[in-house]
Amino acid sequence: MTSLSEEVLLVVKKVRQKKQDGTLYLMAERIAWGPEGKDRFTVSHLYADIRCQKISPDGKAKVQLQLVLHTGESTTFHFANESTALKDREAAKELLQQLLPKFKKKANKELEEKNRMLQEDPVLFQLYKDLVVSQVISAEEFWANRLGGINNTDPSPYNNKQEVGISGAFLADIRPQTDGCNGLRYNLTADIIESIFRTYPAVKQKYSENVPHNLTEKEFWTRFFQSHYFHRDRINTGTQDIFSECAKQDEKGLKSLVTQGVKNPLVDLQSLEDKTLDEGYGICTTQPSTSNANKSVKDSSNSAIIKRFNHHSAMVLAAGSRRGFSVSFIIFLKISSSETSSTDGNSRDSDFFQPPVKKVKLQEAIEFEDLQRENRPKTVPLNLKKSDRYAHGPVPLQSQQYTTSQDIINSVNYIRHEMANYKPSLTQVLSSTAATSAIAALSPGGVLMQGGAQQAINQMVPTEVQGELKHLYVAAGELLRHFWSCFPVNTPFLEEKVIKMKSNLERFQMTKLHPFKEKIQRQYLSTNLTGHLEEMLQTAYSKFQIWQTRRMMRKT
Amino acid sequence: MKLNIEGLLVYFPYDYIYPEQYSYMLELKRTLDAKGHGVLEMPSGTGKTISLLSLIVAYQRAFPLEVTKLIYCSRTVPEIEKVVEELRKLMEFYTKETGESNNFLALALSSRKNLCIHPEILHANIVVYSYHYLLDPKIADLVSKELAKKSVVVFDEAHNIDNVCIDSMSVNITRRTLDRCQNNVDTLQNTIHKIKETDAAKLREEYRRLVEGLKEANVARETDIYLANPVLPDEILQEAVPGSIRTAEHFVGFMRRFLEYLKSRLRVQHVVQESAPQFLKDIFDKVCIDRKPLRFCAERLQSLLRTLEIADIADFSAVTLISNFATLVSTYSQGFTIIIEPFEDRTPTIANPVLHFSCMDPSIAIKPVFQRFQSVVITSGTLSPLDIYPRILDFRPVTMASFTMTLARTCLCPLIVGRGNDQVALSSKFETREDFAVIRNYGNLLLEMSAIVPDGIVAFFTSYVYMENIVASWYEQGILENIQRNKLIFIETQDAAETSMALEKYQEACENGRGAILLSVARGKVSEGIDFVHHYGRAVLMFGVPYVYTQSRILKARLEYLRDQFQIRENDFLTFDAMRHAAQCVGRAIRGKTDYGLMIFADKRYARADKRGKLPRWIQEHINDGSLNLTVDEAVQLSKHFLRQMAQPFRQEDQLGLSLLTLEQLESEEMLQKITQIAHQT
Repeated sequence: MTSLSEEVLLVVKKVRQKKQDGTLYLMAERIAWGPEGKDRFTVSHLYADIRCQKISPDGKAKVQLQLVLHTGESTTFHFANESTALKDREAAKELLQQLLPKFKKKANKELEEKNRMLQEDPVLFQLYKDLVVSQVISAEEFWANRLGGINNTDPSPYNNKQEVGISGAFLADIRPQTDGCNGLRYNLTADIIESIFRTYPAVKQKYSENVPHNLTEKEFWTRFFQSHYFHRDRINTGTQDIFSECAKQDEKGLKSLVTQGVKNPLVDLQSLEDKTLDEGYGICTTQPSTSNANKSVKDSSNSAIIKRFNHHSAMVLAAGSRRGFSVSFIIFLKISSSETSSTDGNSRDSDFFQPPVKKVKLQEAIEFEDLQRENRPKTVPLNLKKSDRYAHGPVPLQSQQYTTSQDIINSVNYIRHEMANYKPSLTQVLSSTAATSAIAALSPGGVLMQGGAQQAINQMVPTEVQGELKHLYVAAGELLRHFWSCFPVNTPFLEEKVIKMKSNLERFQMTKLHPFKEKIQRQYLSTNLTGHLEEMLQTAYSKFQIWQTRRMMRKT
Repeated sequence: MKLNIEGLLVYFPYDYIYPEQYSYMLELKRTLDAKGHGVLEMPSGTGKTISLLSLIVAYQRAFPLEVTKLIYCSRTVPEIEKVVEELRKLMEFYTKETGESNNFLALALSSRKNLCIHPEILHANIVVYSYHYLLDPKIADLVSKELAKKSVVVFDEAHNIDNVCIDSMSVNITRRTLDRCQNNVDTLQNTIHKIKETDAAKLREEYRRLVEGLKEANVARETDIYLANPVLPDEILQEAVPGSIRTAEHFVGFMRRFLEYLKSRLRVQHVVQESAPQFLKDIFDKVCIDRKPLRFCAERLQSLLRTLEIADIADFSAVTLISNFATLVSTYSQGFTIIIEPFEDRTPTIANPVLHFSCMDPSIAIKPVFQRFQSVVITSGTLSPLDIYPRILDFRPVTMASFTMTLARTCLCPLIVGRGNDQVALSSKFETREDFAVIRNYGNLLLEMSAIVPDGIVAFFTSYVYMENIVASWYEQGILENIQRNKLIFIETQDAAETSMALEKYQEACENGRGAILLSVARGKVSEGIDFVHHYGRAVLMFGVPYVYTQSRILKARLEYLRDQFQIRENDFLTFDAMRHAAQCVGRAIRGKTDYGLMIFADKRYARADKRGKLPRWIQEHINDGSLNLTVDEAVQLSKHFLRQMAQPFRQEDQLGLSLLTLEQLESEEMLQKITQIAHQT
C-alpha cells in the first residue's frame, strides 16, 4: 500500500465500486478504496473535499453509501458482504459522521470566506471573472495573497465586523409547516436559537437547566413552541409548563423596567398632567371601563399580546445594544447608575434644582435652530455646475499645500481687495506677443488646456466600452501588482513566479487587450484608449527583460 | 433683534424671525390695545410661545399701568416648564441688551404637591401655571382669586379648554363617596361635641358671623377685589345663612338628611336622567329640603371647617364634594344634568350605581375669567374652526385670526387614504369596524409605510378598544410579524408607567437607527402631551376618524344642550370634536420648519369637505385634489416622492427671505405687505 504511515481507522472488505469488488479504507484524513488484489487505491478522497454522505433507504436491496464532493462529483460504494452489509455500512457511516464535520468546518470556512468576499466586493468579483474564469491565472494564484487572514489567526478587517443586532421578526421566521398528519413542523436554525437566547435570557436559563439532563433538545423546543410563551395570545394557564416561569420572569423584568421609570422627563406620562381634579370631580369619560374584574378572556388575551409586543421590542432593543450582558445585568446597571446620579445631585431639595437631563431636554425642546445665526466658521458650499471641469481642470505642477476654507475666504477677500484697489502701472505691462501667446495657451486646445481634450472621453465613448475599459484596467492592475510584487527577485520561488507572471501578462494582452483594441478599432474609436495600458505592460516587459539579461549574465 | 410692532419696542431673543411670528405679535398687540379677548391659531413649531412672551413682556414694560400681570396657563407640566425656560431666555436677552438686570418676577406653579400660595404671587409680573388654577373654582379660590384685574390671561394649547371647564364643574357620586361622607359627618359631629364642652364661645362667634352673612365676601366682590367663584353665586352673598343650617349641629343634621336622600337615589334599578329643578323638586317632596339652605352648603361647610380648626382638609374631601354638589345643583337651573346609572352598560349584572352631575356648559366655569380680566387670549396650534370657541365659551373676542406656516419647502404632506389596493373603502365607522377587509387593508397600509418611512412612525387609533381588537387581528393574520421585519413595535397601554417606558424605548429605537412604530390612541395621553420631533415621527397615521364615544348618556345630554342653547347641530359638534383630535394627533409630527413628516388620514370620510374644512388652515392648504381618496399604493408612491425630496439638505439660506427673515428683510415694504396676508381673519 502506498501510504502505510497513515493511520487506518476502519477497513471494510467486500465493498463494490463501479461493479468491482474491493476494500474500503477510512484513514485519518481521507477515505480510499482499492480493487481486490491490487496494490493501489483507485478512489481516494480527502475528507475536506467531501460535502456530504448519503445512504440508501433501509428497505432497498442494495446497501449503498454515496459520497458527494464539493465539486459535485459523487462516488458510490456498494456494501456487498451479504451477512454484514448493513452493519458495515453503518460503521462506515458513523465514522464518517464523526470525521466529516471536523474537516468540513475548515474547508467550508475557507470556501465561505471566499464566497463572502466575492459577494461583498463586486470589483473583486469582476476581477475574479476576468482573471480566473477566463483562465488567465489560476484560482490559487488569485487567492494566494488575498486570503492571508483566513488561515492564520490574525484578524483581517473582515472579521472585525460590526455587531449584528437581532431582527425584530426572528420569531416570525420560524414558519410552522404542516407535516401532513396533524402536526406542525418548525424550522429552527442556529441563528434563530441564538436570537431567542439573546432576547429571552430566561429561556436560555431554562435550556441550560433542562437540556440534556431532563429533556432532549428536540423535546425542549417542542415544548417551547407549544407553550403560551411562544404564542403570545395564549394566557398563562398550566403550571406544568416549564415556560410559565419564564413568563413570570419576563413580567418581573418588565415591571422592574417600568418601576425604574424613564430618564427623559418629557416622555413621562405620569408626571405629564398637573392633576388637580380631586376624586369625584370631572366628567368620567368612561369609555367602556376595563377594570380587571369584568374582563372577558378575549380582552385579557388582547392586552397580553400588547404587553408581549412591548416586552419583545424592548428585549430586542436591549439585546442589540449590549451584547454579552445578560439583561438582568443591564437592569442592575441601570438601577445602580440612576442611584449614583441621584446621590450626586445633592441639591435636589432646592427649589431651583432641575435634574440636568430635564434641563437639557427642555432646552432642546424650545430651541429654534433656524432662528439663530449659525456660529460655526463660515464655509463655502461646493457648488459644481459642471463636475467635469472640476475633475479635469488645469492641473498645478506642484502639489499644493492644504488650505482651509477660511484661508480661501481670506485670499478671496484679499484678491477682491486687491482688485478694488488695482491701479495699472502702464509702464510694466506684458509685451503684446507674450500676451497673445498666453491667451492662446489658455484657450481650448492651447498648451495649458490640454487636459480639456481628454475629458471628452466619457462623452465620446459608449458606456459599455467605458465599462469594459474599466474592467481591463482593474484586471491589468491586479496582474501588474502580482508582477511587481516579485521584485526584488531573491528566491527561486519568486523567480518562478515572475516568469509565470510575465507569461500571464502576455496572455492577458493577447486574450483581453488585443480583442478589445480590435473592437474599438472596428467602432472607429480612438485607439489611444488602450495606450496607457499598453504602456504599463511595456514597462513591465522591459523590467522583465532587464532582469532576465542580468540573470543570464550572472549565470554565464 | 429689536422689533417695532406698531410703535412698541419688542425685544425678541433671536437673530431671525418667522413672518408669522411678526404677524402674530401684531394681532396680539391689537388685542391688548383694545383691552379685549382674542382667539389666535398658529401652527406648533412656529415659535408661538416666545412671540407671546416677547410681546406681552414688552407691553408690560411700556405700559406698566395698563397691564400689570401676565397669567400664562398651559396644560401639561412639561409645557409649563418649557414656558419658564423660554421666559428665562427672554430675560437673559433683556439683560444682555439693556445692560441692566431687570426686576421682573416670574412665578411658576406646578403640581399641587409643592403648591406655593405665597403672597408673592400677587407681586409677580408673570405667573405660569396649569389651567386648573384658574378654571377650577376649588383651586382658583385658593390661588387665583386675588389676581389683579389688569392682567392678561393666556390659555395656551387651548383646543380642549371647554372640556377642562366642564370637568372642573362636574361631580360624580358613588356609594363609596357617600360612605366616606358619612364618616366625615360623624367626625364633624364628634368634633363639635368636643368643642362645645371646651370652647363653646367659638361656635357662638361663628353663629354671629353667619348672621352677619357673607357681607365681607360681598363687599370684596362689589369692590372688585376678587375673582368671582362660580360656586358662590351673587345672590347668596347678599343674604344671611339661613337659620336651618346656622348652628353647627343643625348643619350636620342637615347634611345627614341630604346624605340619606342621596343614598336612596342611588338605590335605583334603571337609568334616571333629570334636570336640576326636577332634582330640587324631588328632594323637597321627599325629605323637605329647601333650595335655599342647599345653596349655602359649600360656604357653610368651609366656615365650619375653619371654626373647628381642622388642619387636614383632604380627609374631608367627600363631604366637601357633597356640599359643592348641593350648592351647584341648587344654584344653576341650567347647564347641568343629573344622570343616575345603576350599573355600567357593559356589565349589567354588577351593581355599581353612580350619580353623575354633569356640567354641559363650559362657559359657566370660564365666565368669571372673561368678566374679570381685561384681556384673555385663547391660542393653540389647532383651534379650527375658530368661531366655535367664542360660541361654546360665550364670549366676544376682538380679534380672531388663524396664521399659516410660511414654508420655504413644503415640509408636511397630508394624504387621505380612502381605499385599499383592493378598492375596499377604508373607514372606522361603526358598520365596517369589524370588517376583516378593512382591518387587513389598514394593516397593509402600516406595513407598506414601515418599509419606506425612515426612523419613527406613530399610528393613532380612534379608541383603545378599537386598537386592541385591530392589534389582535393583525397578530393573527401575521401582519405584525411582517411589520417587525422593518421596525420594532411599541404599543400604548392603559397603564401610564408602562406606556412611558414603551415611549422611551420607542425613542431609543428611533435614535439608534433601528426604527420603530408606536401604536397609540387619539384622545389618549400620548396624543395630547408627547411631541414627535424630527426622526421621532416621520409619519403619523390616523386610522379612522376619532369620534367621541357617542353612546354615553352624558355626551348625549351635552349635545342636546349645545343644540338648544347654542344652535350647534349635534353632527357639527361631533365632527368638530373629532377633527380637532385628529389635528392634534397628526400635528404631533411637525414641530418646526426644519422638521418634516407625512400625515396620513386613513379614512375615506376625511375627503369630504365637511371634515376636511374643519382641519386647521395650515394643514388644509396642503391638501389638494391629488391627495384625496388615495389607494394604499398611491399613498406609498406619493410618500416615497415626498421623503426623497425632504432628504435633501435644507439650510438656513434656503429659508432666508421666505420663511425666515432678518430685521432688514422684515422691514421691507414688500414683506410687510405679504405679512398682512398671513393672518387669516374670520
